[in-house]
Parts: sequence; C-alpha cells; structure tokens
Amino acid sequence: MLPYLLVIGFALYGCKQVYEPPAIKATHNYLVVEGIINGTNDSRTEIRLSRTRNLTDTFLVQAELGARITIQGKNGSSYLLQEAANGLYATDHLALDQNGLYRLEIVTADGTRFSSQYVPVKQTPPVDSLTWTQDKDVSIYVATHDPGNKSIYYQWDFEETFEYTATYKTILGVKDGLIFFRDTTNQIYTCWKTEHSTDLNLASSLNLSEDRISHHQVQVIPQNSDKIGIRYSILVRQYALTEEAYRYFQVLQKNTQQLGTLFDAQPSQLKSNIINESNTSEPVIGYVSAATIQNKRLFIENGNLSNWLPLPNEQFCKQEIIPQDPDNFLIYKNPDTSFAPWYFVTAGSGIVINKRSCLDCTLKGGVNQRPSYW
Amino acid sequence: MKRRIRISILAGILLITSFQMLHAQDSTVTASYENTPFLKFIEDLEAKTAFHFYFKSSDLDSFRVTARADAIALPDLLAMVFRGTAYQFSIDAEKNVYITKGQPIQTTLPEDFFKTGMTDVAGTRPVVPVTETTSKARIRTSDENRLFEIGNKGAGSGKEKVTLSGYFRDLKSGEPISGAAIYVDSLSLSVLSDQYGYYALTLPRGRHQLQISSIGMKNERRQLMLYSEGRLNIELTEYIPSLKEVVVVAERNSNTRALTMGTTRLSIKTIKQVPVVFGEADVLKVVLTLPGVTSVGEATTGFNVRGGSTDQNLILFNDATIYNPSHLFGFFSAFNPDVVKSVELYKSAIPEKYGGRLSSVLDVTTKEGNSKKFSGSAGIGPLTSKLELEGPIIKDKTTFVASARSSYSDWLLKKIPNSSYSNSSASFYDADLHITHAANAKNTVYLNAYISSDRFRLNNDTSYRYGNKSFNGKWKHNFNSRFFGIVTVGTDHYDYRVSSEQNPVNAYKLSFSIQQYNGRADFTFTPSSKHAFRFGLSSTLYQLHPGNLDPVGSQSLVFPDQVPHEQGLESAVYLGDQYSVSDRFSINAGLRYSVFNNRGPQTTYIYADGLPRDKTTLIDSVSYKKGSVVKTYANPEIRVGLRYSLSDNASVKISYNTLRQYIHSLSNTNAISPTDVWKLSDTYIRPQEGEQWSLGFYQNFQSNTIETSLEVYYKRIKHYLDYKSGAKLIMNHYIETDIINSEGRGYGAELLIKKTSGKLNGWISYTYSRIELHSADPLAGESINEGRYYPANYDKPHSANFLGNYKFSHRYSLSFGVTYSTGRPITLPIALFDLGGSQRVLYSDRNQYRIPDYFRADLSFMIEGNHKVNQKTHNSWSFGAYNLTGRKNPYSIYFIEENGKIKGYKLSIFGSVIPFVTYNIRF
Repeated sequence: MLPYLLVIGFALYGCKQVYEPPAIKATHNYLVVEGIINGTNDSRTEIRLSRTRNLTDTFLVQAELGARITIQGKNGSSYLLQEAANGLYATDHLALDQNGLYRLEIVTADGTRFSSQYVPVKQTPPVDSLTWTQDKDVSIYVATHDPGNKSIYYQWDFEETFEYTATYKTILGVKDGLIFFRDTTNQIYTCWKTEHSTDLNLASSLNLSEDRISHHQVQVIPQNSDKIGIRYSILVRQYALTEEAYRYFQVLQKNTQQLGTLFDAQPSQLKSNIINESNTSEPVIGYVSAATIQNKRLFIENGNLSNWLPLPNEQFCKQEIIPQDPDNFLIYKNPDTSFAPWYFVTAGSGIVINKRSCLDCTLKGGVNQRPSYW
Repeated sequence: MKRRIRISILAGILLITSFQMLHAQDSTVTASYENTPFLKFIEDLEAKTAFHFYFKSSDLDSFRVTARADAIALPDLLAMVFRGTAYQFSIDAEKNVYITKGQPIQTTLPEDFFKTGMTDVAGTRPVVPVTETTSKARIRTSDENRLFEIGNKGAGSGKEKVTLSGYFRDLKSGEPISGAAIYVDSLSLSVLSDQYGYYALTLPRGRHQLQISSIGMKNERRQLMLYSEGRLNIELTEYIPSLKEVVVVAERNSNTRALTMGTTRLSIKTIKQVPVVFGEADVLKVVLTLPGVTSVGEATTGFNVRGGSTDQNLILFNDATIYNPSHLFGFFSAFNPDVVKSVELYKSAIPEKYGGRLSSVLDVTTKEGNSKKFSGSAGIGPLTSKLELEGPIIKDKTTFVASARSSYSDWLLKKIPNSSYSNSSASFYDADLHITHAANAKNTVYLNAYISSDRFRLNNDTSYRYGNKSFNGKWKHNFNSRFFGIVTVGTDHYDYRVSSEQNPVNAYKLSFSIQQYNGRADFTFTPSSKHAFRFGLSSTLYQLHPGNLDPVGSQSLVFPDQVPHEQGLESAVYLGDQYSVSDRFSINAGLRYSVFNNRGPQTTYIYADGLPRDKTTLIDSVSYKKGSVVKTYANPEIRVGLRYSLSDNASVKISYNTLRQYIHSLSNTNAISPTDVWKLSDTYIRPQEGEQWSLGFYQNFQSNTIETSLEVYYKRIKHYLDYKSGAKLIMNHYIETDIINSEGRGYGAELLIKKTSGKLNGWISYTYSRIELHSADPLAGESINEGRYYPANYDKPHSANFLGNYKFSHRYSLSFGVTYSTGRPITLPIALFDLGGSQRVLYSDRNQYRIPDYFRADLSFMIEGNHKVNQKTHNSWSFGAYNLTGRKNPYSIYFIEENGKIKGYKLSIFGSVIPFVTYNIRF
C-alpha cells in the first residue's frame, strides 16, 4: 500500500566558482625563512628571508634585507652568512659536526631577534636512480634507500634546464645603431633556460618494511612541451628530514595543494621551529632543518621521445625589408625596436628584419651560454 | 469546561445503549423534508418507525425541518435536525423519544447506580446526548459507539484503580501504531503507545470515554465499562483527507501534555510529504528541518544536534546501531522509506534507557508488516530502484516486511563538472527483513536484519567501500497488564575498506571495522496512574579493528600494518519513574549508571610525566593480557524532567541530563567521512562528558490548532576530541599524541510555531545556537588559537525553517519551504608568502571567519486524482522546484594552488533551480 514513485525528470548542476575572499585589512607582515643548513661541509648553504604579504598586495616578493643570520652550534661554533641580493643569505664555509645540533639566529635590520630550535644534521642517503617514462607525458621518478633505516622522511627539489632555439637564426646584432656580426659568445639562436621546482615534494617510507622510496614521481612534463624540444636536464636534490620538519612541510603542502575534495581535512595551523624572541606568539613561517644534500642529474633527448612535437616558439614572425643606406649600409635605421636585423639581401640591396622574438632566444629567459654540464 | 466534557461522556454512553437496541430492528429513516413544520415531521417519523415522541408543542410548533435522510438511523437524523438549536432529545429503552428545550430528560439510571451509589463518573446529572457522536462518519460507528465491557463484572467494587492495556493497530494492515495517544479528559490522563503499539493505562473502575488520536489516523473514541483489569485492542483507520496535507499533524495537546521535552516524532507519512531533491522520501532530510538540527551543508552525511558533533548521535534502526546513516555522499539516507514507520528524535530529555552518545538519539522504527494480506510496492527512480513486500506468514500471528533497494547512480557523478567526480563511480544497496511473531497474548518475538553497502571510486584511483550489518532478536513478554519487559540481543557491524592499486609499489588496501554485541532487558511497570517505572540493564561488547593496512600484489612494498585491535565493554543499569504528582505537575526522573571497561589484549604506551605526549617523550609500554581490564570508567548519569501545566493549553518543562560517550569518531573533516575511524575510550582518551539544562515553554492557541514552543538550553562538553596540526588519524598507533583534549560549551534557543490544521498549515522554526570549543590539554604540546574559545566547525548561530502548505481544494495544494542558516565557520587565508618555489597561504586562526549564509526556497504543487476511497489505485502528480531562487549556496570554500598561484573556489552542489515532476501511484 505504499506509494509507487516515479520521478520523471529533473536536472542537476554542480557548480564551482572562483571565490575572492573579502579583503583582509589588517597587515600580516610575518617573517618567512626558507632554506636548509647544508650539512655537507664546504658546500653552499642558502637561506632566504622574506615577509608575508596581504592577499590583495600586488607585488610578488617582499624580501627581508639587512638581516644578520648566523648558524650556531650547540658546541659554541658560529658561522655568519653573507647577504647576497633579494633577501638571500649564503655561505660556502661551514664545517659542521655531523653529530652536533645547530640552530639559526636571525637579527633583522630593525633589531628583532629570531631563533630556531636546535636541529640535528640528518644524513641523506644517495639517490639510487633518477629515471623517466613516457606515457604521452614524461614522468620523472626518483628512487632511494637507506640501509641504516634512519632517513625515513624525504624531501626533494629540483632544477631543470632545457635547450631551445629562436625561430630563425641570425648572425647579426645591433649596437649603437651599428650592425655587428655575432659569434659563439653572443649568439642568440640557442639558449638554455633553468627553472626551479614549484612544489614541495615529500615522501616517507614510514609504513614500508625497509627505508626505501621507489618510483617516486618528482616531475611531469606535459606532452609536446618545448622543454624537451631539443634536450632537457633535471638536477634533483634530495634531503632527509626530521619527522617534525616533514610534518611541517606536509601541513604546508596540504593547506595549499590538497584542499578541495569532499573528504579533505580543514586547514590546520603551522607551528614553526622558529620564534620571535620578543613576541613568541607572532607567527613565523618556515622550518629550519640541517641535512647533507644528495644530487642526481638526468638528461632527456627529444629524439628519445615519441609523438613529441613542440609548437614553434613564435608563431607570428613578420619580416620586412629596409632599404640599404647609400652612405653606410651597416647602419640599422628601423625605428621599431621590436624588430631586429636578420640577414642582408644582395639582390634588392637591403636588410631583412624580423621580429626580435623570432630571432632572439634570450627574450624567453634563457642564457646563451652552454652550461658546463651540458 | 470540565463539566461539559463530563456530561458529554455520559450522554455518549447513554446514546450507545440506545443504539445497541436499535440495531436489533429496522429503525432507519429514508425521507426528504423541505421546510416541514415540526409536527408534520414527527407524524411522518411515527409512521415510518416504531418510535413514540413526547414533547411540549409550545416549544416546537414554530420549528421547521429541512433535511434529507437516506437510510439514516433515527437518532442520527434527530441529531442532524437539532444541530445548532436549543432542543435536546433522549431515547429510552421503550423507544420513547423525549424532546425538550435546554435540559434533556434522563431516561435511565447509571449502570452501576445500585452498586456504587453516585460515582464520580456515572453521575446523576441530566444526560445530554451529543449530536457530534451520531453525526460522525459511518465507517467505524460500531466500535465508536459500542460499550466495551472489560473485566469481570463481579471482580470488585469501589473506586480502586485497575489497569487497561492493549495494542493499537491499523485496521487495514494490522500494523502496530506507535505514539498513538489516549486521553481520558475527565481525569486529565494521557498515555502514548510504545513502538510496538502497546499501551497501559490505569483508571478507576467504572465508565470511561477514551479519546484516541494518532498522526495520520482518524481520531476516535471508545466507551468502556471497566470492571477489572483487562485488555482493549484499538484499531484505527487512516485519516484519508490528510493525505493531501503536507504538514506534521501532531497529536493535539501533545506538545503541552507530553512529559518529555525536546522530543519530536515524525511518521513516515510526514516524511514522505516533504519534497526532496531526487523525489525519494528521506528520513534524515526531514529531521534536518527540525529546530536544533543542522548539517554542515548539502549532500553531507550526518547531522548536528544542538551543537553536538556528528558522532554524538545515537542512530538506532529497530534498536540496531547504525554508524554511517547515509548512502552516496549523503544524497540518500540508509533507511529505505518504504519500511520505516516512524522516526523519533530526542535532543534534550534523553530517556535513561538510552546512553552512549552525548547529543541525541534518533530512533527509527520499521513497520511490522500487514497481518491481513500480502501487499507490496515497487519504485523506479532516476537513481534507485526498490522493492518492498509484506504480509502474514501465519495470519494474524506472524508477519514479515522485507525490502531491498539498489542504485545506478554513476551517471549523476558524470554530471558534476569537476573531473574528480566525473572520473568517479558510485553505487549502493540496502536490504532489510523484519519478522514479528505474536506467539500469544503475552509473548511476541521480533527479528530484524539489515544490511547496507556503498562503493565508490574517486578519480579512477582510490576505491572506497563501507557498509552496516545488523541482526537482532527481541522478545516481549507481558507479565500482566501493568508490567511488561523486552529482552533484546543483537549484533551490529560497520566496516570500510579503502584500496588503491595505481602504483604497484604502493598498492594497498586499508580496512576498518567495528563489531558490537548487544544485550539488553527493559521493563515497564505501571502500578497506578501516578507512576510508570522503567528499569533495565544493557551491555555492549565492542570489538574494533582500527586499521589493517595490507599490500596488494607481489610488487607492493607496503608493509603490512595493523593498529592493535580494541575491545571494550559498556554496561549500564537504569531506573526511571514518571510520576504524576497532580493533574498539573509531573516528574520524570531517571538514573543511569554506566560502566566502561577497555579490555586487553592491549599495549599502552607510557609517556614521560608532565611532558607533551609525543613520540619523543614515549618512554615505555605496558602490555595487557586478553580479558584483563586496561582502564575502567564508571559514571552515574542523571536524567530529570519536570512538567508543570500552567493551564489546559500551556505548560513549562525543565530538564537536566548528563551523558557519557565511550566511543568516538576520529574525524578531521566537517561531515562523516567514509574513512572516519572510531576509537574506544582508553587510558588517554577519556569518555566525553555532556551536561545539558533545558527549559521549555509551550502554549497552544485556537483549540490547540496553533502550537508554539520556546526551548532554551545550555550544555557543556568535556573531553571533546580535537586534533593537532597535521594530525594523522588513520593507521596511527600513537593516536593520543595527535589529540587535543578540548572542552565545549553550547547554548541556544529554539522557537517553533506550528499550525496543525486548516487550509493553511505548516510550521516556522527559528533556532539560535552556539557551540564553542577550547583546547584544555596541557599534554598536547600545542593549543588551537592559543587556548581561546573558538567556534566548532558546525557552529551555525541562526537557522530558520518555514514549511507551509495551502490547500485550494481537496485536489490541489501548494507547499512552500524556506530554509536559512548562518554560514558555517571557516579558517580563511590571511596572507601570502613564498616557500618551496610557490606562493603559499597563511591561514587565520581556526574558524575565525564564516562562509556565506545558506538560503533555499522550494516550491511544490500537488494535484490529486479523484477521491473515491475504494478505487484500486490512487494517482497524484506533484510539480516543483528545488532551490527556487537558484542561489549558489556554497557547500565549501577552499583554496588550492594552481600553477604556483593560490586560488579560492566556492563549490556549490546545487547551483541552480532544479525542477522536478513526480508521479505517484498507490495501490
């Protein structure tokens, strides 16, 4: 005797919209500390200081300048970092006791003192292999293991370099209105561009029977990307982390990279191991760790890939001919600086120019000098 | 007021005695009178029947009669004719009819006149026949007007009280009716039937008139002559016109009279009348429209009652504990509406019989099945199909109800414009069987079995499965009409399994399960109309497998891991009494004493004294053998409620409750998630303690057709579980190191105005409620928002619901619903910074901001077929629109990094108007 139910029609529309949070007026100007104390002696340690900025701020980086950073050992040793540009502080001269405990002390230009907890120097095992596979996209994987079962928590970052060319090759250049011939020191046809990883990459072997990371993906290059138009190289750096540092970066990663599905956790707070000594409740962002660093480099040639057809660098190359100057045909007179000389034509007695973006690979951010490892 | 009622009862009784004689002979009248002078009318009647009429002609000579009678009994005809006039009539055994103006003639002495002298009930006042009685619909005239003689005539005399008991059943299907009310107005007495339809009522000997009402059933009355203890089974018929009302028709007066406060009962009829998005009646969706009940959003599982978390609700399905009450991300509730009989939600005065959860008890009961004939129903919907069968196995003795439901909902996910859903699949089924065997008048046996299962795979990767399984048997024994008991034994099971096989090296499966064995005995003893004692004991053995992680395939390097199993025994004894001190004042007092033992085998880690619990402060471990007690918690729980009637239409109620919860879900998310782990209290996880004070004021207006209530409450929660930053809740052997022992406080007010009848009916409710938490755990090592109070994830201060129904006619009606609530709290990003090559977000204090408010309006228009009761099928159409304003209510707001930039998104589940058309066939 129950209703016999038949729904004839209905529609369902889910909806995802961009949400701009209401402007948050109070300024949140907290110190951000990034970098790792490099436990491999006499290799470079870089610490970058910056400040948080409000969501509505338009500038990209607010570097913290004029600070004094020291690495202090519990045994009383102390190393001062030199300030480089843009909030980067570095040193190449550390001699750390691998069993010692170290901390970072930062005194900002306004005299505020920040200090981290003491951290041990974690010994990072070597990278066992760095491999790639192609299934449309190219994926790059890292593998490592620690026979001593001590590392357990790992972080990777990388630096990728790729070779590319301008659309057309020219041997001409312009300096002070005069055309000159380029050679290998100032060629602009082949460039090498280096980019850094933009994600935190973490893994742990905590629940595995041995301390082994196998086939952990560090990078994916989408099919037909011009990164592997000619030749590509990636340098992966591996760090062993303490459990606390791993947790800290895991939360950081979760808060920004993993939110959004129905069952994900709410954002939770970050608890740094750095404090402002005069105001301990002020948030400080970053987590100081110390570890030896292991690297591995991999090359991929375009010829080793299948179905990989990078788009031309510049699709709208437009050429023109400028009449030859009777007095000095080496003077380049075109007023439009978005053009550059390409080649001379003898038949029509003129100079062929083309869009600079079609001739100069450095406009895309690469350098024209072959890297030493290439 | 009172006097009139009493007189009516007597009159009714008298009339019935007359009726019994009339039935013996032909006494109906078929005639038509058009402005006929009264004398002519009488002459005609005397000619057509054997009755003789006596009256004063000066009183009646100017009275003219207009009436049409088609085989109408004479008293009915007279009642019809005299309605609205001052004339009264009485009929004696010799078929003499006495017509008077004002006072009627008394034609007999009271039945027990010579035995008891002048009793309170069968008094000697002049008797007035009540015209209403005779003019009522015919269907059940025989029972309504029969005098039921109960007990042994010679059993005794005097005013001593005896107990009347019996069952309420549906006349058509033989189904028991729970929550039906009997009132004896002359004594200001009322009782409700229990979930088996059983009632017991203590009355003085003598004549009584019982008023009977139940949701969706026709109001009836019974005349009875009570000699000694006895039984009266009452069969009610469906109130047919109410089918078109989209409204909860509660028992009149029951909100001011019922002793328990903060209790809401919904019949399946009510539930089926509330429009829902997929056209399938849904128990939980209707519960969400009640004051004090909220959820974190659409399409989420679980609900929050008065600021309680989702794991603080005890959800019972025929006494089986259901751990996950939803299918398909919460689009459906786990209860097949075709077998559900009623739903009861206790949110403030929780009877001492129940325990183990802090916030509420949701008691879902099923039908017992048609005891007269086989019947069934089937449904095909856009997402599910279902089949329900019921009927007698042994006629009038053994009945069964069985149902099954299955989904084909994958296409729905494909419609969601988010690749993580469109690359997903989901399906579910549930099935249940209920058998009732009435061995004899004293013994009834019930068997219930339930199974549900859900599977889904998100984004072609991880697949999830979860399910509930329950089986229980109940034996109800009536020792005598004042004393009965129910013994229940059963087992409940909940489990889930998550697996991923995308990367052969990391391929895993993760499983979790809870198995519980329950035994309980509950007794009710009603020694007199003043007292109703309830007592009993219960015991639940829990076996938890908090997590098994296993590798899948030979390549998998996943290390098999198992979080040690947990065992616990929760036992309780309780005693309660409902004591009616006077007509106006009654007390409901109960004490429950609960004991929880966490039992071995178990390994408990020991942490350095006074230091934050952390793996670095773990110094030792202690092993407990199988069966040994690891930790015991014992607590008395107090349940007290008072009711004081200010007048016939108004009352004040106060209740105080303390509760304990020994099993907790570990959840970092807003809603119940299929991967939530449940955890028993142990050495470190203390039982959650709840305490609630409630005060309510109830007032009815306009003959109880408008009910209003205002309830305020304050509650405190101790040992609430919140989590440290980045806490890992699954496969955690050291869960105590990730938990922050928190305290909560909640307070609120609930206002409800309900119009129960009339062309326009419905309800409007407003709830103000707050729930705030703060970290109170020196051993956590960190505190959220520096230990200050912060709103819980589901804190929604304002919420309002309106549901209205307007009946244009019996065939057309319109219903309109509006829901509003404050957006739930959210932790918002407040600043940006660069780290690890990306721009990242710094979040505000926990739950410092709120998502936009929730608002939704729904409209539906119903067209009924014709109203002939006896046709084979009944058809109806309903058209409507869900989310009429097309508001994009945010389900969630989240921030995600895309190409090195942080972007905020607002996700709405239903982002536009959703029209629906439903065609119903009842057979």
